[in-house]
Amino acid sequence: MNIAVVTFPGSNCDDDTVRALHALGASVIRLWYRDRDLGGIDGVILPGGFSYGDYLRGGALAAQAPVMEPLRHAVRERALPVLGICNGFQILTEAKLLPGALRPNRQGTFLSTWQHLRVTRASSLFWGLREGEYLRLPIAHGEGAYYLPPGQLASLFDRGQAWLQYVSFDGQLTAAANPNGSVANLAGVIAGSVAALMPHPERAMDAALGSADGVRLLTAWLEGIRRRSRDASS
Amino acid sequence: MQARDVGLTQTEYAAICRLMGREPNELELGLFGALWSEHCSYKNSRALLKRLPHEGPYVVAGPGGNAGVVRVSDDWEVAFKIESHNHPSYVEPVQGAATGVGGILRDIIAMGAQPIAVADLLRFGTDSQSVRLRQGVVKGIGQYGNAIGIPTVTGDVAYSETYAQNPLVNVLAVGLRRPEHAMTANTARPGHLLVLVGQRTGRDGIHGASLLASQDFQGSEHDTLRPTVQVGDPFLGKLLMDMTLTAVERGWVAALQDLGAAGLTSAVAELCDSSGVGANLWLDRVPLRQRQLSSYDIMLSETQERMLMAVEPERWPDVRALADHYEILATVIGEVTEGEMIQIWWDSTVQGTVSAHWLVRGCPRRDVSEEWWRALRHRPTEAPPVITTIPSLRALVLDVLAHPDVRDRSFIYQQYDSTIQTRTVWGPDHDVAVLRLHDTRVGLVLSVFGTGQWASLDPYAGAAAAVVLAASRLAALGAEPLGLTDGINAGNPDKEESFRQMASAVAGVQDAAEALRIPVTGGNVSLHNETDGQPIWPTVMIGALGRLDDATKPVPDCVGAQGHTLYLVNPGPLHWGGSVAERVVEGASPYPLGDLGHHQRALEAMTQFVRRGLAQAVRAIGRGGLATALARMLLGAPPSLGMAILLSESTESEKLLRLFNEGPAQWVVAVAPEVVDDAVGYWQAVGIELRYLGEVTQSGRLEVDERVHWTRAELLTAWRQPG
Repeated sequence: MNIAVVTFPGSNCDDDTVRALHALGASVIRLWYRDRDLGGIDGVILPGGFSYGDYLRGGALAAQAPVMEPLRHAVRERALPVLGICNGFQILTEAKLLPGALRPNRQGTFLSTWQHLRVTRASSLFWGLREGEYLRLPIAHGEGAYYLPPGQLASLFDRGQAWLQYVSFDGQLTAAANPNGSVANLAGVIAGSVAALMPHPERAMDAALGSADGVRLLTAWLEGIRRRSRDASS
Repeated sequence: MQARDVGLTQTEYAAICRLMGREPNELELGLFGALWSEHCSYKNSRALLKRLPHEGPYVVAGPGGNAGVVRVSDDWEVAFKIESHNHPSYVEPVQGAATGVGGILRDIIAMGAQPIAVADLLRFGTDSQSVRLRQGVVKGIGQYGNAIGIPTVTGDVAYSETYAQNPLVNVLAVGLRRPEHAMTANTARPGHLLVLVGQRTGRDGIHGASLLASQDFQGSEHDTLRPTVQVGDPFLGKLLMDMTLTAVERGWVAALQDLGAAGLTSAVAELCDSSGVGANLWLDRVPLRQRQLSSYDIMLSETQERMLMAVEPERWPDVRALADHYEILATVIGEVTEGEMIQIWWDSTVQGTVSAHWLVRGCPRRDVSEEWWRALRHRPTEAPPVITTIPSLRALVLDVLAHPDVRDRSFIYQQYDSTIQTRTVWGPDHDVAVLRLHDTRVGLVLSVFGTGQWASLDPYAGAAAAVVLAASRLAALGAEPLGLTDGINAGNPDKEESFRQMASAVAGVQDAAEALRIPVTGGNVSLHNETDGQPIWPTVMIGALGRLDDATKPVPDCVGAQGHTLYLVNPGPLHWGGSVAERVVEGASPYPLGDLGHHQRALEAMTQFVRRGLAQAVRAIGRGGLATALARMLLGAPPSLGMAILLSESTESEKLLRLFNEGPAQWVVAVAPEVVDDAVGYWQAVGIELRYLGEVTQSGRLEVDERVHWTRAELLTAWRQPG
């Protein structure tokens, strides 16, 4: 099973993501944003960073990068699992592979802190990650306020696309637990085979660094891919 | 153009003519103006800095290069250094601070090291304009560090009116390298190509070193100097960093130098001087951002995001291909030659000829006599101040916790990415940063601290105490000290009093570093921190680096369980000179430094105590004194825990001095019941006082002498002030 990690100019969480995948025993292929051939891969991660310096808007330029074309095609044709983290989330909304948009944080400044999250909806993309489960992951972003046009929120929940929500340390879905002004405390969404979140699971791979919950999340994603390819071949 | 137009004196001009055997042309004069500036030449400070101890068991490279380097293990070396960007940050806070980060990162990269951490040491005034300056500076630091992907893991901030028109922005960076990827600027050889990589050269930052960084401010200049501030581009900085370090890793770079203050002039001169070579420079080949830049502009531009490589001709195609991959420019702009002369060409015309040696070492430097240097140790008396009106202990504890120099810094550091690169075991919510290296338990401790009030009346004592405190925080984790970097910030050296203050600060660093046996591997001096004739308090920023054999389990800095006994190790004098509490009650007396030899013994004993596993929690006492240390050990603990403290002092004023003195080399330790006897025996054996303070309780509050108490909520509200 091969997982690709795409590096755009200005990506800066690509090495951390590769290291996290290696720690979980995954075989990693590194893709450069100009690559037009994805190769034989079973899943793709768009890592965090400041692709193109976040000039214009976070993710806006990267969404037009050459590598996005075969990626879009693979999502459409063979439901390739894609995971966007932070800037990767921004790229996926800019590329219209996910609904909504990421706006500047409510407070107008970059925010780096630890955040508690709740799995709002279980998904076959994350095998074993159950609804109502809690995760503690770091966030670090300036444009992380998830936005949906008026009237689309209910259908997001109805379709099971509302995946992760920010909660307080004791698991409550409160306004105070919302770090950046995201609509409905949303931290992560799913559409088809494409999932993304603002927090950084790749930085939470070891309790010594504050949390190992990233292991649970990424393991669940890899396991989802493994079962999917097994089912496809059987 | 005259000497003073480039910031030089008539005496210096005469020295240039003597060296050259003729008068310099305009271009040549500009080069001298830049490299003989205070900022580049250290003409007022080098004679003082050379007295600092530079030798140590872990030192790989001391001062003189782009950054000091120490050995952490057989596999890893660490480059680290502090740099100031004070004047630019006052003129243009966001860009000034951002380029400060970019600049120090390129110093680290120039040593062949991958930057892994940044720390910010900031000083601001107390007026509303200073609040805006701070917001801009913090934004700028975050903008660059966050985007280039280097975590800002620790820092220090303090305030005083003295910094209102001279904010201090010192940034420290740490980088990792494999010994085999060591890079320096002194390995260029004749025949190498000089390759300029990165940003196109523009008109920004011309005279940054000579005028902006090396002269006092007059209030009205604020606006006219803005064009001398450079503009940073972290996006390009990231590509440049990755490209440079990849080229280094592949062995394609023969010598490396970043372009910082005085741009190309400084880079070429440093590279040639340290390598003992000369160069031909072809300025018509330098990629420009705008047309019609003169030779003068090109040589002195401080455009950011540029590096200079010396490359063997057969490696040039590889380097060019790598730059193409990263979509950045790499251009051959010259060649290394025999001798020491730098010849500057435009097409086939020579524009100027100067010796690298003259530029780098020719500047007349100020020296001081041994007698004068020794006399700096004659200091104000340390007789304790008499407290006439006894303030309320209850109110004072909260006032000190809420003081801007003490309170929670999260409104600053939450704007910095502190977890990227996945090494951060302890981030900015602790007094020090603990970083784990990948694939090993070995790690680093980065401890930064700067003076404010401590050095205001006695720069020698304040500077020495800053070194001791930074080291005390390493000792609290049982870390092995590897080296120090020092940032000296002071006023106009042409004024005797300011010069003396700066020298006293250097003397304090020297004596403390020698007593503690920690080498100073590099640093920075920023002078001319004066606006309209008002100098700042001499301010010393210290960064101490230590090694932990197991960074995954640092000894906690907060109490962890009921029934643990609290002790004060090495109680300081009943004297609150330089303390926050003294400031709160509006006093001012000199800082009580005490005996450095004794502090060294206490530090060594604490390091061993922690390594033996006898402490369940340790915190070094710093700004805000014992009271603050206790409160913070409680605020980070489970909410049910409390502390019952019984002070042994008899009078009310003695109790206050005990709780608020900020004397160096003191710690609070928590000891579990089963090792209390061992702990007490240990400190008796080493001959350092261990004084009983009290117990960890289940009360959820801090109690002193069964008389005064504060709830956790009260302490937290005071400490966590917004902004």
